[in-house]
Amino acid sequence: MKNIDAALHTRGESQYVSDLPKPAGLLYAAVFASPVAHGEIVNIDLKKARQHSGVIAIFTARDIPGENQIGPLIPDEPLLADSMVHYIGQPVAIVVAVSPEAARKAVKSIQMEVKELEVIVDPRAAFQKGEIIGSPRTFELGDVDSTWDVCDVIVEGKCEVGGQEHVYLETQAVRAIPTEAGTMTLYSSTQSPHAVQRTVAKILGIPSHRITVDVKRLGGGFGGKEDQATPWACLAALAAWHLQKPVELVLNRHEDILMTGKRHPYSSDFKIGLKKDGTILAYEVRHYQNAGASADLSPAILERTLFHSTNAYFIPNARIFAVSCRTNLPPFTAFRGFGGPQGMFVMECAIAKAAEVLNIPREEIQRKNLLKEGDEFPYGQKAEAARAEVTWDKAVKTYDLSAIKQRIDKFNQTHFEVKKGYALMPICFGISFTATHLNQGSALVHVYTDGSVSITTGGVEMGQGFSTKVVELAVKTLGISPERIRVESTNTTRIANMSPSAASATTDLCGGATIRAIEQILSRLKRFTAEQLSLEKPDEITIQNEQVLYQGKPTGWDWKELIQRAYMARVSLSAHDFWAPPGIYFDRTTEKGHPFNYHVYGTAIIEVTLDCLRGIYQIDSVHLVHDLGRPVNKLVDIGQIEGGLAQGLGWMTVEDLQFDEKGRLLSNALASYKLPEVYFTPEKIDITLLEKADNPRGPYGSKAVGEPPLMYGIGVYFALRYAMRAFAPDKDFPFQAPLTPERVLINLYGDTKSSSISVKPQSEEKEVQPVSGK
Amino acid sequence: MSEKKNNKVKGITRRDFLKGLGSGAIGSAILTGGGLIPAESKAELLGPGAEKIHGTQKIELLINGKKERLTVEPRTTLLTAIRDKLHLTGTKEVCDRGQCGACTVLIDEKPMLACMMLAVDVRGKAITTVEGLSGSGKLTPVQEAFVEKDALMCGFCTPGFVMAATALLKKNPDPSLEEIKQGLAGNLCRCGTYPKVFEAVKAAAAKMRKGVAHE
Ligand code: FES
Ligand code: FES
Repeated sequence: MKNIDAALHTRGESQYVSDLPKPAGLLYAAVFASPVAHGEIVNIDLKKARQHSGVIAIFTARDIPGENQIGPLIPDEPLLADSMVHYIGQPVAIVVAVSPEAARKAVKSIQMEVKELEVIVDPRAAFQKGEIIGSPRTFELGDVDSTWDVCDVIVEGKCEVGGQEHVYLETQAVRAIPTEAGTMTLYSSTQSPHAVQRTVAKILGIPSHRITVDVKRLGGGFGGKEDQATPWACLAALAAWHLQKPVELVLNRHEDILMTGKRHPYSSDFKIGLKKDGTILAYEVRHYQNAGASADLSPAILERTLFHSTNAYFIPNARIFAVSCRTNLPPFTAFRGFGGPQGMFVMECAIAKAAEVLNIPREEIQRKNLLKEGDEFPYGQKAEAARAEVTWDKAVKTYDLSAIKQRIDKFNQTHFEVKKGYALMPICFGISFTATHLNQGSALVHVYTDGSVSITTGGVEMGQGFSTKVVELAVKTLGISPERIRVESTNTTRIANMSPSAASATTDLCGGATIRAIEQILSRLKRFTAEQLSLEKPDEITIQNEQVLYQGKPTGWDWKELIQRAYMARVSLSAHDFWAPPGIYFDRTTEKGHPFNYHVYGTAIIEVTLDCLRGIYQIDSVHLVHDLGRPVNKLVDIGQIEGGLAQGLGWMTVEDLQFDEKGRLLSNALASYKLPEVYFTPEKIDITLLEKADNPRGPYGSKAVGEPPLMYGIGVYFALRYAMRAFAPDKDFPFQAPLTPERVLINLYGDTKSSSISVKPQSEEKEVQPVSGK
Repeated sequence: MSEKKNNKVKGITRRDFLKGLGSGAIGSAILTGGGLIPAESKAELLGPGAEKIHGTQKIELLINGKKERLTVEPRTTLLTAIRDKLHLTGTKEVCDRGQCGACTVLIDEKPMLACMMLAVDVRGKAITTVEGLSGSGKLTPVQEAFVEKDALMCGFCTPGFVMAATALLKKNPDPSLEEIKQGLAGNLCRCGTYPKVFEAVKAAAAKMRKGVAHE
């Protein structure tokens, strides 16, 4: 089935928040944000701004009738700064005017006096000063300390990995419309309608049932609207509440980039111990997460870093330490992968360094340590239906790794300034919200008397094809034509307490609930049919191609007739249902449990060509074998794989998020923050789906798809490193991502003694000759 | 797509210049009341045909084959005029700075960035927005191919890509992959639909060539 919105999209008819017809008297809001990264507010002067023509009102923290608090996990984040500012871009006041231009003009003349305080931008510096969020966490398996002694080689190092700007093409957008009796409807571009509802209610000091949040679709989210659509909705709601007029707040690109959080930068230390044949015996890692100025979702993201720090490998002795560090940068937030990619990157760095020291191909260590059935993750869960080895082996065979290697080495022997590189990248990603309670989904299904079907779920369509998959699941369950089925907007009045559309889990949870709701209606219909037609076994009634069958033979009724008769006989044609996958739990005191419903596996092989004189490179190919279970919609899923891959490749290469030491964002526009564009796209992408890969834990045997493919992108870093090493075999490159062309050049020609990396061969007797060790 | 690139390069300076001065421009002339040079002498500098405008003004634009009357300020961009005045919301604002292609429209068949043009500058020209490509409920071969190849996810970049692809295929009915990339350079898609967009443009080209052959 094609994406159900496809024709609308190509005709420009799909409506996003700012495309909705404007209600009469619509006012526009703009945000005044802190220009300094840390300080005490001495005075805010609004006088001049108030005098601007077109300005209706200006609101500050003082005008918040409820609680000035929006922190989703920890109450450490005011909606509007009151006495202190903690990052550049922190909202301080909101101006409402008759046009967006008038509001922005007035914003420019607001003056704020601030007593500036020390600015911290580095997570390690924050950690040293005790500026941490929550408590540090440690996952442990086996006995790391006593294992170092039996390792043939031990390698230590440091990794820096950058953040990532979401650049959802639709910026943060909301329209708040006050309705009768102190109620309000918000049209918000959010992945989490419930978070918007409950937070707006909280800041207005009213119960949630007075707030309705409605979401038709998002022009991209990628995690950036999981929690960070909420502040803008609250601001618009605050203005609409006071003025009793509809208010729209749409950030422009510059404001959006400046004021919203991004993927977390991490700084990490690793230590890995191996046998000389490449078997990993022990791994220790310390992750310093740059959380930004407030907690936002950082502790949850940190947790996923802990979960995914050993990627697709079994490491019998592991200690993973991670801590969220508070800095004076915008609160970093969810981004596809949710902390997993950072943990996996460091693991791959450790393996790369170990391979260089042992002078064996990186993939030898990778293959040797892949997870096998029953292997234990550091968090206590055992690998079930482990597909790390099968996807790896299939990739190696299908895409003929040895031919690739031969081709590349031959090329490198005959070319001096241009070098090629390759890398394999296995992934293992856990599916479920790691906060167990969020693993719940709901659906509401109505069948109307004309036989048409309306489905509302707790899931948000943000381009991931969720609505299309819901239709597909409904068609499969109901046996009627897809034209009869409509997926409605996501709405807090129709579905209560929904979890955010995140963690790749929306189809599993809300699709699962949809199937169950439909089954409720079906079973009523079957009972009714059996009674009416005097059929003995209602269970043997089925609907296929709109025909009602009994034991596979036509009953003479079709779908429409069935529905009309059922309605006349007063059979309920609506159902709400719920799905909460069983068996998920996690104990944070022991840091052990079974947090994931299942895992997604796959392996990519990436090839690059690097111009070592200019630093520029081309991604020649990405070949991958991916485990989708039995996909619900292959077309949609392949799009998700390609899209996730593009973002992963971008994160590792050209997307260079930069702040200066004053906390100012330097990459503050699409001109200074480079995104993958048409020329960046790999010359060749080939995707093989693992066959006969059932998944009893997903709807109709399918697996979640959204996040895992992003992590294939990590491979490109190591393919480039291979090419760099082919050019400068004696250099020891630091582990720092993204590997922009500039950084490639610095690596190749600069003084890149990576002082942080020390290599300790255990002893002479073990006959290991570290090659690049010092 | 040299038109678009030119438009981009010139546009940025001109736009910033205009916005910086907060005054008006018309036709190829740029005028300001607030600059150092008196407006009159500037008009002389800019040559005959220069026209000075203040406040708002009623203009007529030829959009999707229809004459539309609207009131704009001199600084109103074509994008604002299309979206906010005419309520044609298929053309998207993403960067408002000529950096993403989401606002691509056709002006006299050439792809242009609506955020980089002033509404008053395009009087008398034939403007096509995504809404004007096909009759109601129908799809052009380009749109059809985007649907068939699933060259879309969130859809926010899609109208811009459809417009750029339409313009490309008008000029070059049988583009190579390299030419397709050239034709679409400047359009960003964060969802990562590029590979499928390339396929869609190829497929659309084939469809259109076949269509022509049948006629
Ligand atoms: S909105 Fe015009 S190019 Fe981005
Ligand atoms: S489809 Fe979402 S940005 Fe292109």
